[in-house]
Amino acid sequence: MAKGAKIALAGEGGQGVQSVAMIITEAAYEDGREALYIPNFGVEQRGGVSVAYVQISDEPIGSPKFKTADIVIALSDRAVRRTQRYVGDKTIFVYDADIEGVEDDLPKNAAKVLAIPAIKVAKDELHPRVFNIVIMGAVIGATGVVDVDRAKQAIEKKLGYKFEKDPKLRELNFKALERGMELVKEEL
Amino acid sequence: MADKPIEGEKRVFMTGNEVVAWAALAAGAEIMYGYPITPQNEIMHYWTRLAPKYGRKFLQTEDEISAGFTTIGGVLAGRRAFTATSGPGNTLMQEPMSMAEMMRIPVVQVVTQRGGPSTATVIYSQQEVTMTCFGGNGEGARIVYSTSTHQELFDYTIKAFNTAWKYRFPTHILGDGYQSKMRESLTMYDPASRGIEMVPTEPYVAKGGVPGIDRDPNHLRNTYNTEDELYDVVMGIMSDWEKYAPEIAEYQEFDAEDAEVLIVAHGVVTRAVQAAVKELRAQGKKVGHFRPVTLRPLAEEQLRKRAENAKVVLVVESAYGQLCKIIANSLYGLTTPIKKVLKPGVGVTAEEVVEEVSKLL
Repeated sequence: MAKGAKIALAGEGGQGVQSVAMIITEAAYEDGREALYIPNFGVEQRGGVSVAYVQISDEPIGSPKFKTADIVIALSDRAVRRTQRYVGDKTIFVYDADIEGVEDDLPKNAAKVLAIPAIKVAKDELHPRVFNIVIMGAVIGATGVVDVDRAKQAIEKKLGYKFEKDPKLRELNFKALERGMELVKEEL
Repeated sequence: MADKPIEGEKRVFMTGNEVVAWAALAAGAEIMYGYPITPQNEIMHYWTRLAPKYGRKFLQTEDEISAGFTTIGGVLAGRRAFTATSGPGNTLMQEPMSMAEMMRIPVVQVVTQRGGPSTATVIYSQQEVTMTCFGGNGEGARIVYSTSTHQELFDYTIKAFNTAWKYRFPTHILGDGYQSKMRESLTMYDPASRGIEMVPTEPYVAKGGVPGIDRDPNHLRNTYNTEDELYDVVMGIMSDWEKYAPEIAEYQEFDAEDAEVLIVAHGVVTRAVQAAVKELRAQGKKVGHFRPVTLRPLAEEQLRKRAENAKVVLVVESAYGQLCKIIANSLYGLTTPIKKVLKPGVGVTAEEVVEEVSKLL
């Protein structure tokens, strides 16, 4: 997989796309790589889809937003529609298999379109609350931009205070990360 | 109370607004005055969180006119003072900023450009160039640094205080909403650890002693009775401006020397242009980039030299020709044609720049 990546993560408010973006870029930064993350914010976010623009590279990063993503991850029907504009012929488009009614809205020009059962896996195998970490695993699985151990360290940094109270949460989150990676790798 | 905000050097990953607050702390800024407006809010938020730990102060005013004037007040009292604003707030702040020009008051103003005109978007633009450089009823005796990375936000916020107090012109950091909200890495440092000495501040008022006996009388004036009086004062300001402009002006060049297409861009757009130039050079195309770091004063001579040898100058900006006006003015008399890519209130990517340049070649 390419060393650098432009990633657009989109979902409904509360699905955690911004915190996923934050953890991934922190992990890349800790790894000594160039990382840039910008959320869509302000009025553009109100009542709309939450989008996180992430870039990780070994070179200095250009403009904060980009035209075409290497990976698009869309977590709701509206996110699927909204993120069409970031898809080019080299883009891998990932969406959740549980999203209904988007069959006609999936991009036709993407290199690959993958449906992954992240919502289902989180709900049935893990816990709905770690859905965003499953997604984080999917991003890492699809791009290879961050080392798994580094990603775990970044999660630890962000959620460590919760893990201290309940060590089982650590296991749950790390499992979610690994499952997310598997889900994409099965499809790729 | 903690001693220095930053000891030595520190690698960090944070938003631009946070960077500005840290830089102002590191520069020894004593007080910030402000009124909330997106996208600069977190400068205030971080400052109010950090400042008390280091004995610094903050005053929230009733609006931006007041924030500008209280910043002037802080400086008159000899404090290293600053303010931050954006868009419509910057509009309101033009009255105090022109007073700072007239009275040579070294205020530091951080501007995070949002879309315009008026309320428009809270997101991003380069549409506050004309206003930050030339707003108010004056001649634009202001120093404007247009930053493009978090490292520069840190470096130039520190520098702005020194430039302001050294030359006694209002000094502006011209950022934008993207720089405010994005996270990237930079190295923060204690200026002293890099041999940067902060220019000492001094009060304009309440200087102590008896005027006429212990010291010269201090005549602070912002109103003039006759045209001739005013003329002399303004010509004095502008003569200093012309004298110091060459040593204040800063710029960067990327493959500009033999460029047939010379792209001119500032602020965050330079990032896209630098990437585009790299790609176009790899294709063997003679494309270069001239990036003014200071928009006021502009490194005119250096720009003219490059533009003269180019076949075409391409101005790229997230505004409808605000940078282009400044550039065209300084290239007057040259025959090199000027082309434009104007995207008011919208970001520019490297791919777009490559596409636009390819149309010219």
